[in-house]
Amino acid sequence: MRGKAVGRELSNGEIVLDDAWRSFSPRGDRGRTLKEVVAAIGKGRAEELPPTPALAGVTLRVGPGETLGIVGRNGAGKTSTLRVLAGIIPLHSGFAQCGGRVAALIDLSSGFGREFSGRENIHLTAALHGMERGEVEARIPSIIEFSELGHFIDAPIKTYSSGMLVRLGFSVAAHLDADVLLIDEVLAVGDEAFQRKCVRHIRSRIDGGTTIVLVSHAPGTIEAVCSRTVVLDAGKVAFDGPTDEGLRYYHRLLGVEDQEQAAARQASDAPVWITQAELLDADGRPRQVFAPGEQMQVVAEFETRAVAPDIELVVDVRDGNSRSLFQATHRLPTSRGGGRLVIDVPRLTLLDGDYEVPLGIHTPGDTAPGIDRMLRFSIAGGGGADGVVDLRGEWNFEGTTIGAEAWS
Amino acid sequence: MRKYRYLFDQLVRRELKQKYKGTFVGVLWYLVNPLVLMGVYGVMLGSLLQTVTVHDYLVFILSGLLVWLFFSQGLNAACTSLVDQAGLIGKVAFPRATVPAATVVVQLIPMLTILIVLIPLSAILQGTSLLPLLALPPLLICLFAFTLGFALVASSMNAHFRDVQPIVTAALLPWFFVSGVLFNLANLAGANGHGPRHTLEQVLRWGDPIAPFVVAFRAVIYSGAWPSVPVILYVVVASGLSLAIGASVFRRLSAELAVVI
Repeated sequence: MRGKAVGRELSNGEIVLDDAWRSFSPRGDRGRTLKEVVAAIGKGRAEELPPTPALAGVTLRVGPGETLGIVGRNGAGKTSTLRVLAGIIPLHSGFAQCGGRVAALIDLSSGFGREFSGRENIHLTAALHGMERGEVEARIPSIIEFSELGHFIDAPIKTYSSGMLVRLGFSVAAHLDADVLLIDEVLAVGDEAFQRKCVRHIRSRIDGGTTIVLVSHAPGTIEAVCSRTVVLDAGKVAFDGPTDEGLRYYHRLLGVEDQEQAAARQASDAPVWITQAELLDADGRPRQVFAPGEQMQVVAEFETRAVAPDIELVVDVRDGNSRSLFQATHRLPTSRGGGRLVIDVPRLTLLDGDYEVPLGIHTPGDTAPGIDRMLRFSIAGGGGADGVVDLRGEWNFEGTTIGAEAWS
Repeated sequence: MRKYRYLFDQLVRRELKQKYKGTFVGVLWYLVNPLVLMGVYGVMLGSLLQTVTVHDYLVFILSGLLVWLFFSQGLNAACTSLVDQAGLIGKVAFPRATVPAATVVVQLIPMLTILIVLIPLSAILQGTSLLPLLALPPLLICLFAFTLGFALVASSMNAHFRDVQPIVTAALLPWFFVSGVLFNLANLAGANGHGPRHTLEQVLRWGDPIAPFVVAFRAVIYSGAWPSVPVILYVVVASGLSLAIGASVFRRLSAELAVVI
């Protein structure tokens, strides 16, 4: 069972995980008290819940300069994998190692020591990653510049917003000269302009040969940064390959849950249920990642058991924060049998981000309309604009040209 | 390990800032409690009750109290140090022992502050020889290693079992009273060299690992004499043993720190 060391020194930026196992006790493994331990001696062995595995035999090889995205449902072992790679949590069996300098960006939104200033936190964070005084002091000006925090850098971080804390944390990490950069969800916080700056910086690090491992719920970020994607499911590698395939696999994995829900509706003799739903591109192929302005089709197949009037299909489009952007209903035909409804969106006027399309069947008796299918897609490649809706048109300058001297 | 020197420096600075608010007045404020303690015991036991009759009783107390303060305050502060720094431990891999070690190092500040006052005071009042003061730096190193060993055990134990800290605090109080800070162990034995009082004296002198440190520091500062060879041997062996055991326990208990904290 125990994985073996690779038997050689890892080169800088290389990552090896070999049959890695790690589990956690369901009560959270928090510190107990001696009192509890002493009290338990008399009673014999207490009936402890069996530990739940977070990593159940994960094997991964990442070469120097690779960009790896890790996606998976909640509890699939994404963060545990990252913490194991960072050396924060030991394995129960197996082998894990990163070659060279490792920097982990985990939970940046809390900082270290609320009473201390941003500048003091820069020193401590850099020191925690093994930097020496001279190295830190040489980098301080450019770290502060990158963070765009200005004079707030000398204010205690308890006065910072979570966005400011992420700015601070990322700015330090950006200057650590790591061979391996482990990033956990951090980019989700902070304003979009800074997020783009971070992605730009990560891209420049990729060009410089840094290995990146990015854990994210947001397929859009993975798409923008990573060439290779691993899908974790129940502590195992379910998929390992190119990002576009990986994200398709991930979306299918999420779809399985929805199918179970739909099956439940079918079993509960509802008059109408959705048998299949998917997103297609202009060529009629299933797809999850689109560019702004592309054509997208929402296709829903349904079956009708009984003739019932006033049955509607509710289609919603939500952004990554589950904010509804668009909602429409369509009355379904009332005849017995089945059908296929195609909603054709000729031009996706959305900008980079992750979106979800819940489909729900609305019958007059339903008090709380549920979601029968959850489709998800991401928009990527729409650089140059921030926001949600793509309102870019043609830009024309009208007016008299003012000479340069007028501005001086 | 060497590359984490700056981290250690940062952790010590942080501890200083939190404890003393980064000022010298802060350090003095920190000394008020032990000085009041010394005054109360000095007046009660020495002047009013006259249970202890030694020359310059206040200097006598203080020369032992500084050892006790270093040990007990260091141990107490180290106890919760890892739990207090949960934020660092959960997010970055770094040598965990730097955290309790920093809390012990910080205890050097009140120690040195007391020494600056105490050494001239003792020299003037007692007219002691200053040459044995050369033994102070190695004694301090030993006391540091001894305390660090206890601190490593207590801090990692407290991370796993959160009631270790109150237990340590409770144990330190009676320990203080038998440690020979307030009285001269030699006086306990009585005039004849045997009997139950003599046995008690021997137990307190050699059975309590902090007592030889008190005796050694007091010999140098209060009496102006070199510590005896058995005391020196005891101090060296005890500090080495404490550090070795502490490091071994810490290594075993610190692997799961990020999980239990």
